[in-house]
Amino acid sequence: MDGIIGEYREPTDAGPRVTLVFYPGAFPVKWNQCSVAAEFFAEYFADVGEGGLTEEAERRDFVGSVGYVLNELIENAVKFCAGGTVVIDAGVDAGEFVMVVSNQVCADAVDGLRVKFAELLDGDPAELLMQRVEENAANPDLTTSGLGFLTMLSDYKARLGWRFDPAPGNPDNALLKTAARLQVKSS
Amino acid sequence: MTDTTTRPSGSDTDIKGPGYRVWFDAPARTVHFEGVLRLSTSEYKPIEDLLDRVLLDHPALGLRMTELQFLNSSGINMLYKFAIAARKKGDIEVKVHGSSTIPWQGKSLPNLKKFLPTIVIALD
Repeated sequence: MDGIIGEYREPTDAGPRVTLVFYPGAFPVKWNQCSVAAEFFAEYFADVGEGGLTEEAERRDFVGSVGYVLNELIENAVKFCAGGTVVIDAGVDAGEFVMVVSNQVCADAVDGLRVKFAELLDGDPAELLMQRVEENAANPDLTTSGLGFLTMLSDYKARLGWRFDPAPGNPDNALLKTAARLQVKSS
Repeated sequence: MTDTTTRPSGSDTDIKGPGYRVWFDAPARTVHFEGVLRLSTSEYKPIEDLLDRVLLDHPALGLRMTELQFLNSSGINMLYKFAIAARKKGDIEVKVHGSSTIPWQGKSLPNLKKFLPTIVIALD
């Protein structure tokens, strides 16, 4: 079940880096805490990353973009978590903001996820997004929108990657790490 | 266990939850979105119902987003589906008022035109 899909990269210690671990067994993660955690990372790194973002518009864009992308990653991790911890690891590295959110999924789900992730990266994100919304409108009973990764790719130009590993101590689960990278400054 | 902190309150045309409010100003034919909307897909149902209702009853509608700081992908899905419903209904004018200082709006609102080509998007 090991393997990497897309442009998977983890933060390094070369720049500022923060890791946050939720232990849902003792402390269930509530939906609104996804947003709080994402905002913490966005606000924190707006001030520490490469001397901080001093231009108001630049800072606003950074906080908005990191807040959106990371919130989506954490919502996914909480929604699809099959037990174990949810880990958020993020840092600034070579002009990019690098985020990795990890959670466990059922080992049975891995093959399906691989196909889904590969399809996301193969197609044109703007077109896939349009198709998906039209499908959602035609099927009002769907409980997930499927727009998280598509909006990250299409509207935020995020670079995405995924990594599967065995889950420590649980042969029924796999450890899924989802990586997203955003350009910190356009210059 | 139900998480009561995310349960919306208010009436059918004035939906309030922790950190957000969505309400219909009937005289101005405008739906106001305010605060931070990061609900799960099923939690958007009351807001979807409000949008469906006002769409049926009005030939012209405004959506005011200038006070909506964040919207997650499930909320964006709701908005785009509204645009598709308006396209299918036909004979309707929809105008969106947004803010260029709120990043998600500059990135995701323009897509509304793909689903409803006649929509007018004004970013202050």
